[in-house]
Amino acid sequence: MLSYITKRLVAGLITVWFIATATFIAMHLVPGDPLMNQKAVSAEIRLNLERKYGLDKPVVEQYFIFLGNMLTGDFGISYTQQNRKVNDIIKDHFPVSATLGILAIFFATLGGILWGAITAVYKNRLPDIIIMFLVILGISVPSFVFAALGQLLLVNLNQLVGQSVLPVAGWGTFSHMLMPSMVLGLSTMALLTRLMRSSMLDVVNEDYIKTAKAKGLSPLRIFFRHQLRNAILPVITVLGPQIAAITTGGFVVELVFAIPGLGRYFVQAVQQLDYTVIMGTTVFYGSFLVLMVILVDIVYGFIDPRVRLQ
Amino acid sequence: MTANILEVTNLSVEFETFGGTVQAVRGVSFAVEAGKTLAIVGESGCGKSVTVQSVMGIIPMPPGKITSGSAKVKGEEILGLTAIEANRYRGVEIGMIFQDPMTSLNPSMTIGNQIAETLVVHRGKSHSEALAMAIKLLDRTHIPEASKRARQYPFEFSGGMLQRAMIAQSLACNPSLLIADEPTTALDVTIQEQILELLTELQRTEGMSILLITHDLAVVARMADQVAVMYAGQIIERGSLDDIFYRSAHPYTLGLKSAMPSNTGRGDKRLQPIPGSPPDLFSPPQGCGYAARCPQAMQICKRKLPVLTEDPGDSGHLSRCWLQHKDAPDVEELYQPLKLKGTSSAH
Ligand SMILES: Nc1ncnc2c1ncn2[C@@H]1O[C@H](COP(=O)(O)OP(=O)(O)OP(=O)(O)O)[C@@H](O)[C@H]1O
Ligand code: SF4
Ligand SMILES: [Mg+2]
Repeated sequence: MLSYITKRLVAGLITVWFIATATFIAMHLVPGDPLMNQKAVSAEIRLNLERKYGLDKPVVEQYFIFLGNMLTGDFGISYTQQNRKVNDIIKDHFPVSATLGILAIFFATLGGILWGAITAVYKNRLPDIIIMFLVILGISVPSFVFAALGQLLLVNLNQLVGQSVLPVAGWGTFSHMLMPSMVLGLSTMALLTRLMRSSMLDVVNEDYIKTAKAKGLSPLRIFFRHQLRNAILPVITVLGPQIAAITTGGFVVELVFAIPGLGRYFVQAVQQLDYTVIMGTTVFYGSFLVLMVILVDIVYGFIDPRVRLQ
Repeated sequence: MTANILEVTNLSVEFETFGGTVQAVRGVSFAVEAGKTLAIVGESGCGKSVTVQSVMGIIPMPPGKITSGSAKVKGEEILGLTAIEANRYRGVEIGMIFQDPMTSLNPSMTIGNQIAETLVVHRGKSHSEALAMAIKLLDRTHIPEASKRARQYPFEFSGGMLQRAMIAQSLACNPSLLIADEPTTALDVTIQEQILELLTELQRTEGMSILLITHDLAVVARMADQVAVMYAGQIIERGSLDDIFYRSAHPYTLGLKSAMPSNTGRGDKRLQPIPGSPPDLFSPPQGCGYAARCPQAMQICKRKLPVLTEDPGDSGHLSRCWLQHKDAPDVEELYQPLKLKGTSSAH
């Protein structure tokens, strides 16, 4: 187990290095540089600024300086936000994004398992047909549409009740988090529902379900202890990649709901070619996702005994 | 007279499929006596599993449907019960083991917990009490290091060990009947022998009845007190082991026996498969199901279903064949085509 985790971590490290390098190259291929956004500066000042930020050095040298700093955990200072360290930006805003993402994953998993189980139980009957129709919507409609619809819903709801039931935008309390995290988790929930449904239907036909019946267990017990648990296993395997989907989806949802998450800074940084912030956030997100995928695999190992002991 | 643990009368089961209705079981009757073993034999697809699974109430419904019949456990009707009602005898009065032990246990639950579950549900034991009993049960089925094995998962067991664990599980509530649906088919020959040995031993010590399904006559010879031979959803011959092996009255049983490789040492007796295949159960023939393959087939065989008739000199030995029908009105006419059999049943 330990050697397995070490192997995965080393592979993850290589992945992160690759992400960093690819981002670095892509970033420098885009015409322009971070200083272009400054108000008209004289050539002299520009030269000074370039020297200050190290932009006058050859790109290859810049790359190695960046890598060296990265290894010490220092992503440098933002070009566009006065004297703000990239590390501070991440520290201040990532917890917001993470909270949103975790809530979204939570809703998606809970909902996916619940709806998937219901559709399997009511296979080809009305509840199944309705839910599976919604699932197709959930998978095919992009999240900013749901974000807008969600906001609209809240506006109407608040008007109807005559007072603010749930805030339409912003961040701070749990009631702020509810709608955006549900919107963010929606497409993942739809995907998991579909997966859970087919997984449940596979399990019903397994021999051990017949055994459970022959043992004289109640239908409820068979459902929860034998069917559900075995059906959830394949669903968990896709959670790792889905966390990535939710993270990227989070950028849009943060924007619509005016949530001070890291996503907004990332988008802004890309627009302004703020080199250090782009590199910092990308490498950070990359490492985060790699870690999450490894974590999900380990958790899976704890749930599925066959994986655990190998 | 011995008491019957299980009495099945005139059981018929159908499956509704896209291709039509499969009449998988057509009026099957048999009884399992206390402490005895009844073996049901027959070719693949003749309805053996459907018969016993209907008794257990575990055929999928729909598409399955029990269209008629009765099954009584110690005199109490069990067909048509709700799942909750049926659970008073499932796993309690009747234990069941299946053909493929590899897939018949829950892969994500320890063996010990799976056995203990039965005791928690039916006997109201606490989990730790039940687990301790589960270890004893594993011990009783000769699984070495039972307490360690109880904490393991099915994938850590070999096929033979899994079947032992299945047996241990089915014995948890001391059932009066164990249904074993081809318990050794999926196992190696040497392991088969061990499992049969175990079943014999347990029957002796626990005094339970066994309803054994198999298509292996050697297994029948070894285990059975009573034998029922099934063909195309019907029982075509039924009697004691000796009735079936030495006084067989039905051409199909004779065919099965000549298909059995002999262990007599004569060496030259080869396995002789019965030519042809069983009839289509979507529209079973109105006459004898075996008529198309039977070397003794007569004209009436195709027109009219023979009734299950008791051998006059041999009480309790029944067979469903026109050859046995001594009171048939036109015996002469009946036997006539027999003389011509070489030419008339050419197919
Ligand atoms: N769920 C089902 N749906 C449709 N037909 C079924 C179903 N289960 C069984 N049957 C049909 O019922 C018939 C009897 O099947 P059964 O499993 O009882 O045979 P068997 O005697 O146990 O054979 P084997 O020795 O291969 O186990 C077969 O023709 C099969 O096609
Ligand atoms: S009834 Fe006729 S066809 Fe059927 S087994 Fe007897 S002799 Fe053969
Ligand atoms: Mg079978």
